[in-house]
Amino acid sequence: MVGPSSSAPPPGGATPGSGSAADGGGTTAEAPIVSHAAPRSITPTTLKDLRDAVTAGTVLIRGTGTATTWGAPVRDPRTTVSLAGMDRVLDHRPADMTVHVQGGIRLDALQAQLALRGQWLPYDPARSEATIGGLLATGDAGPRRLAYGSLRELVIGATMVFPDGAIAKSGGHVIKNVAGYDLAKLCHGSLGTLGVVAELVLRVHPLPQTSRTVMVSGVDTAAAQRLTWALTRSATEPTAIEWCEPEQVLAVRFDGTSDGAAARAAAARALLRGSLAELDADESASFWHSHAVRIVAEPGDTVLRAATRPGIDPSLVRSLAAWAEHAGVKALLTCSPAVGGYTVRVTGGDAKAHAELVKNWRASVEAVGGFVMLRRRRPGVDAMVESWGRAPGGVDVMRRVKGNFDPENRFAPGRFAPWF
Amino acid sequence: MERKPCRAGDYQNTYMIGGPGVHPRDTARPPSGGAVRRSPARIGGTGRGGKGVPDVDREAALRAVLADVSAECGPGLRALTGAAERRAYETDALTAHRILPGLVLLPADRSQVAPIVRACLRHGVPYVARGAGTGLSGGALPSESGLVISLARLNRILEVDPDRRTAIVEPGTTNLSISAAAGEYDLYYAPDPSSQVVCTIGGNVAENSGGAHCLKYGFTSHHVLAVEVVLPDGSVAVLGSDDIEAPCYDAPGYDLRGVFVGAEGTCGVATRIAVRLLRRPEVVRTLVADFPDVPSACDTVSAVIAAGIVPSAIEMMDNLAIRACEDAVHAGYDRNAAASLIIELDGPAEECTELFEKVSAMCTAHGCARLRIAADAAERAAIWAGRKAAFAAMGRLSPEFLLQDGVVPRTRLAEALTGIAGLAAGAGLRVANVFHAGDGNLHPLVLYRADAGQEPAAAALAAAIAELCVALGGSLSGEHGIGVDKACSMPEMFSPADLTAMDRLRAAFDPSGLCNPGKVFPTPALCGESRAGAYQPHPLEETGKIQRW
Repeated sequence: MVGPSSSAPPPGGATPGSGSAADGGGTTAEAPIVSHAAPRSITPTTLKDLRDAVTAGTVLIRGTGTATTWGAPVRDPRTTVSLAGMDRVLDHRPADMTVHVQGGIRLDALQAQLALRGQWLPYDPARSEATIGGLLATGDAGPRRLAYGSLRELVIGATMVFPDGAIAKSGGHVIKNVAGYDLAKLCHGSLGTLGVVAELVLRVHPLPQTSRTVMVSGVDTAAAQRLTWALTRSATEPTAIEWCEPEQVLAVRFDGTSDGAAARAAAARALLRGSLAELDADESASFWHSHAVRIVAEPGDTVLRAATRPGIDPSLVRSLAAWAEHAGVKALLTCSPAVGGYTVRVTGGDAKAHAELVKNWRASVEAVGGFVMLRRRRPGVDAMVESWGRAPGGVDVMRRVKGNFDPENRFAPGRFAPWF
Repeated sequence: MERKPCRAGDYQNTYMIGGPGVHPRDTARPPSGGAVRRSPARIGGTGRGGKGVPDVDREAALRAVLADVSAECGPGLRALTGAAERRAYETDALTAHRILPGLVLLPADRSQVAPIVRACLRHGVPYVARGAGTGLSGGALPSESGLVISLARLNRILEVDPDRRTAIVEPGTTNLSISAAAGEYDLYYAPDPSSQVVCTIGGNVAENSGGAHCLKYGFTSHHVLAVEVVLPDGSVAVLGSDDIEAPCYDAPGYDLRGVFVGAEGTCGVATRIAVRLLRRPEVVRTLVADFPDVPSACDTVSAVIAAGIVPSAIEMMDNLAIRACEDAVHAGYDRNAAASLIIELDGPAEECTELFEKVSAMCTAHGCARLRIAADAAERAAIWAGRKAAFAAMGRLSPEFLLQDGVVPRTRLAEALTGIAGLAAGAGLRVANVFHAGDGNLHPLVLYRADAGQEPAAAALAAAIAELCVALGGSLSGEHGIGVDKACSMPEMFSPADLTAMDRLRAAFDPSGLCNPGKVFPTPALCGESRAGAYQPHPLEETGKIQRW
């Protein structure tokens, strides 16, 4: 992400989300949080202090503040609890391939520590400076989820602090474990509405010797779909396949041993048609960095995230272009075709135009059985369109889960409006 | 009760673990089984008080359920009411636990499941869904005079999409048949529990089943994209999407699909499942390495992992297990080896070959006495046949055995095996070890003879082994589930706060408490009111200064 990132709590008296700590330090006109009272900010450093911090009043949990705008605006948070003081690796066991961390550790800091022992968490969300707890709570994932899964597949143990002050664990330190319910899964995607992710135990992997990226340009929707299926049907085992529109570029990544990744990239090139290039290490790093920046976007942009069944639905690509033109805005699409993920960054035009695009494209996505949420919006958009559209199955159960864990609705109230 | 000895190659009997008889915990179990934890008295405002349900009421309730579902579902719904027919459903593969259900229903169509659940809810009858009955933790054990919903007839593969690499199947579909159906597209379904020939995907979802290859490929939870569920409130929801035919990788909201997978059938009944399929690896290489002692084999496992290699499987058998398997299947194992490792790598040709050579060299460097590399698919199949027949083969050593499923951190494998040997010697019983060494998932088999009065000692040894795993920083169960078998050991691993949080989650799915009650959670009825050694959080733990894991 561009700009300095801050792990510091928001300055006392400031409204979270409108100050300099929001969104990686960028100045922002966004007002994602409606506040009527001077909030307080707490930065606990122990599990006990964390528990004491969350047991009264409305609570907004904060990591590095990269996703405060995801979902619907939180109503009136009195207490912002920053995890910046709980950012340590508690126990790295290289031989067991596990690492036990506090929820407030930044992903980039964790990766740096793991790299010292030749390991990594095979997880590459665009927000690399986000905290590991925040990444679990946002259910975020990057291009490599194709091969390695999302954080839900990599978390093997969790310690949660629930609104009643209970400190509860599930899972443990072993990579295979079916004892008890998996509370970490419950928190995946919960956006701070159920509890605080105080600690996580993660399964780590050996760092691949090398990573290679093959780029194909001039790939239209139909070709992107065709090439994606050709790649996933082949034995080349790509670790990421991403397609960008309107640039019409398909990027395919291979991680592995030096010889192995080279052989797989070569095999992929034989499968692909069009204008091909294989990036060297520097070019590759630079491309994937810009890819992440594109997904994170900037304050003032509207960012939509859609989930559909695997594949690129041509009707969604067409309707996005048509509705963007109709609304007079620019829409950049980043698509993970093999897993059915779409991120749309909307720039230009006013709030009304953004809201119109959200409304119209959401209808197109929902017509093919998908879901659209807002990660960011131009100020004013919230008055015209909901942050969440069609609810997934089991929303009644989610409502009961919320009621059972947070009966007073103190944790991030409003985050899932209008669902619950 | 008739005895059911284990016979090699007979899958129905392969999982008949342990003999019938009195389980030591039976004495603590009341007549109403586990169904008392959340009383059905609260259902439907019937106002019935008390914890248990009198048998006369239950019989009337079962008749009412049968009348309701017969009217709603028509003649296609098969009902087993006779005691002899119902007896086949009194136990799963953990045969030490037996409870005769009051009624067994076999829907012919998935639309019949919701009416059954609603009728149970209306009349306060506890129910459990059942697949092939191969579960090893008593997860499909009925409640006393409760209802069993057998999903065996819902066994259709509804769709295989070779591009999206998904399949939509009914819950009674066997694990292996999914791979068989996907095979024509060079795809397969990755989780491969040893019972995969007969076990059903519905049961796999309930237990979050693993298998030998989950070291690299993960568990059922990693391969299920969406589940259509009849929730305990009788409604139908698709978790992980909203339309089972459009399963999403990243549906918004709480990951209820992730919670449902592995909830041991306590959160509802699956009626359709959308699974992820993988492309068959280009190359598969398999070796068997025989070692003169157990620690050398354990060190080899650690060395492979430390070298940054993730094999698709690393299995270990000790001498007792090797001899049983070899006698049964003649797969070419060395009967004199103290331990054998089966190591398999798969993936793209170049990479797989390179790493396989490294692994072979490591085995030799760690004192491997004999290294056998599978020359072809047939030899690989024979090696796996030997491994997968291990539990059945144990019948040759002892007609009765108890199987444990504890997990330890991989680096503590040798310590765990030494500890198990010590416990076994102390109990005067033999323990054979066949296990998933790569992920530290042990499967100690406690051999005993019921006619020699050894069963209580065997049960105590099995529980001690599971709790040893927890003490070494591991888990009670790697893949078989808690069920009723290990529910009483849960306080060894989880605090009251942990269990309360889990129970809250359960109650959100099942406010009625009728959906597979008495499983997972320790109950006073099952385990007694108090238990020595129960977890109490240390003050230093609360402040984050020390860790229990």
